[in-house]
Amino acid sequence: MQGIGKRFAGVTALRDVSLSARGGEVLALMGENGAGKSTLMKILGGVQPPDAGEIRIEGKPVVIDGVRSAKRLGIALIHQELMLAPNLDIAANIFLGTEGTPLLLSPLPRAAMNKKATALLARVGLALPPTKSVGHLTVGQMQMVEIARALSADARILIMDEPTASLSANESEKLFEVIRKLRADGVCIIYISHRMEEVQLLADRVTVLRDGRWAGDLARAEATSDKIVALMVGRELSGAYFPEKKDRTAGEVVLEVKDLVVPGAPAGVSFAARRGEILGFAGLVGAGRTELVTTIFGVTPARAGTMLLDGQPFAPRSPRDAIRRGVYLAPEDRKHHGLVLPMSITENTTLPGLRAYSRWGRLDGAAERRVAEAEVARLGTRTPSVRQKVVTLSGGNQQKVVLGKWLAMSPRVLILDEPTRGIDVGARAEIYRHVAKLAADGIAVVVVSSDMEEVIGLCDRVVVMRERRMTGLLTGSEITQARIGALMTGARAVATAEVAS
Amino acid sequence: MKRELGMGSALVVICLALFISNSDFLGQSNAVNTLRQISMLGIYAIGSGFVIIAGGIDLSVGSVVGLTGVIIARISSQATGGGGHSLALGVVVALAVALLVGLLQGLLITRLNLQPFIVTLAGMLLIRGVSQTVVQGGTLSLGTSPLLGLANGGLFMRGGDPLLPYPLLIFLGVIAAGGYLLHSTVLGRYLYAIGGNREAAAYSGIPVKRIETTTYVISAGLAGVAGVCYAAYIGQMSQQVGVAYELYAIAAVVLGGCSLRGGEGTVLGIVIGSAMMKVIDNGINMFQVRYQDADGVPRLWRLDANWTFIIVGSVILIAVVLDQVVHVVQGKQRLRVVEPPPAAPTPAAPVS
Repeated sequence: MQGIGKRFAGVTALRDVSLSARGGEVLALMGENGAGKSTLMKILGGVQPPDAGEIRIEGKPVVIDGVRSAKRLGIALIHQELMLAPNLDIAANIFLGTEGTPLLLSPLPRAAMNKKATALLARVGLALPPTKSVGHLTVGQMQMVEIARALSADARILIMDEPTASLSANESEKLFEVIRKLRADGVCIIYISHRMEEVQLLADRVTVLRDGRWAGDLARAEATSDKIVALMVGRELSGAYFPEKKDRTAGEVVLEVKDLVVPGAPAGVSFAARRGEILGFAGLVGAGRTELVTTIFGVTPARAGTMLLDGQPFAPRSPRDAIRRGVYLAPEDRKHHGLVLPMSITENTTLPGLRAYSRWGRLDGAAERRVAEAEVARLGTRTPSVRQKVVTLSGGNQQKVVLGKWLAMSPRVLILDEPTRGIDVGARAEIYRHVAKLAADGIAVVVVSSDMEEVIGLCDRVVVMRERRMTGLLTGSEITQARIGALMTGARAVATAEVAS
Repeated sequence: MKRELGMGSALVVICLALFISNSDFLGQSNAVNTLRQISMLGIYAIGSGFVIIAGGIDLSVGSVVGLTGVIIARISSQATGGGGHSLALGVVVALAVALLVGLLQGLLITRLNLQPFIVTLAGMLLIRGVSQTVVQGGTLSLGTSPLLGLANGGLFMRGGDPLLPYPLLIFLGVIAAGGYLLHSTVLGRYLYAIGGNREAAAYSGIPVKRIETTTYVISAGLAGVAGVCYAAYIGQMSQQVGVAYELYAIAAVVLGGCSLRGGEGTVLGIVIGSAMMKVIDNGINMFQVRYQDADGVPRLWRLDANWTFIIVGSVILIAVVLDQVVHVVQGKQRLRVVEPPPAAPTPAAPVS
């Protein structure tokens, strides 16, 4: 692939990226969240068309204009979320769409399908009857079925997007065996992963992307975790748009979390959020940060552990409980959890504290409008009026409405989960300024972010998480790209030291 | 409001056309009867509207309408099969049962996370079955119960017909109360929020399950009120009373501009939708064209009443198709307006 570019609605996702992979080779593709790995692979897999650049297979330029044409060229993409029909059996899944019958109404060639499926299953080391329903398989077995499906289409290029994300150690080991076998058969494997150990174990070469650009290639011998992390995060920080950090960590503890075990997490997490500080949570997507903050907000109950709010026990069983105590969450998924899109700015702003605007249940529209207008003015939300439906606003302005909705009811603890995701650079700077102002006003602000720059530029203290565990707590000058990068990817040397402390 | 305006204008046009074709359409007897029909449908359609605006669906409405009348007849009727108790007792018990049905369905749906379609479908069959066992497959007459006056009586009697029949008065009361609840109160705002985005409503601390349960209680309660009117109107209760009424209610609600996805709709719209349903129903009987046959003899052409369902079905389809077309066109315009400006330049990075 050469000079590949891709833009989405004004945002450049990929710029002039080139990549090459040989048959019989495992190429690891690495990079932070949003670096463009998945987009690049979707282009190769025909899911999205490139805006620029050229793709050559065995030297011949090809045009990939859909999943079908990618398949014809022998490219198979295995998505992170498996694309299997759990209600059908293994054979039916393997040959879904390639049953090989002349007519839609032809009878399914079950016997032939089962026979071919058995052979394919043997190749991926899965000793199961092809008539077993996929819904009954483990995730690892499903992964093998996906690979078998790719092999059934004679894939020469196999792309795997974080295949071990939900596999046990044992299952991962089996997957690696299959990958090595396929490599020996001459298949070209492009392997996307965040896990350093895996990449070092499997990859013949590593290509690193950063901010939608090619950041570097490393051969097997030189691919140490330090070098990979440096390529992944090593960008110039443009401090211009972060507000100046003050010494804000002196405030008293507002929210104290002790050994809180979130459903699905292997261990408890402990930390304290202080009045007037910005506490960051860094980590890769899936590190368990969102699960942690939704538990604090009462969406899902904690399995164990305790929380104290202003020294009083705090165990919310619903967002309602948390809101009553002044703990608010601006969720990661604004459109699904943060806003009622078909409603107006006013209606969204007053929703959580609606009773305050009513007498005997009757709403005082004028009071609602005053508060909404005050929040719009405070946050600089760009809109013709507060009657505007939020669905028509840009991402940055929508996020301001979410902020305004909580600011209208004086928070104690304000949790912001990915506050600038999908927001353009200009609006980001404004949101950072407001967040700093809130902390200065004495609110304990918690910021969850996958954007390293944001965490470093904004936060006073940073909790780093990896695979649902807390791997470190950094303060002040310890908050560096290298330290965070090492803790969140699990590059060994630094990580062990941090956990011990 | 655009939807209400459009449907309202269409309704006026249809009424005018009917009046021109047959002046009896607005004659006292037909007009009052049509108003009575609209009112009885509108009462329970507003109840269904509450459920639908909050994103649910209630299929048990028609069965509750039927059960209410059956209970009243069984308890209060002086005729054979009736209990001979006071009318008030019958009405109170019937309404209480209706509210209880709504509460039970609401709790099943919200506390056990069951799908409203399934729960109320089962409720529809169950309640219909209860009515059937009470009437033993036959009919129960209300006899000469004073309740009959509820449907036929009213204010400003003129020539044996009231200008304002009681069901219309009840309907006006329900419109006022429903409009106030939905458009002026915290509860109403919560209904729109839950229908618009249930997750975001929960994340905003709204007691989603309690509010949803309330909508099913309101729906069943208003179905009970409508059931009392229908009992008075029909006089003979059988298991057939109220069959498929939930579908008329849903049709009226959708015609009035509510979305089955929830979060949209107004009481005014539901009123217009109910009126549309019953005016069309009545119009099929009233519509006529005068013409002269080959011999010059004046004749009347009328619509075949067997066409009723075809016409009602077509009207609903046309309305939703038009609505979708308007939505798509508006959506495209919105996209054009919001088209992002050329990519913002990256912030001035410090020169290194």
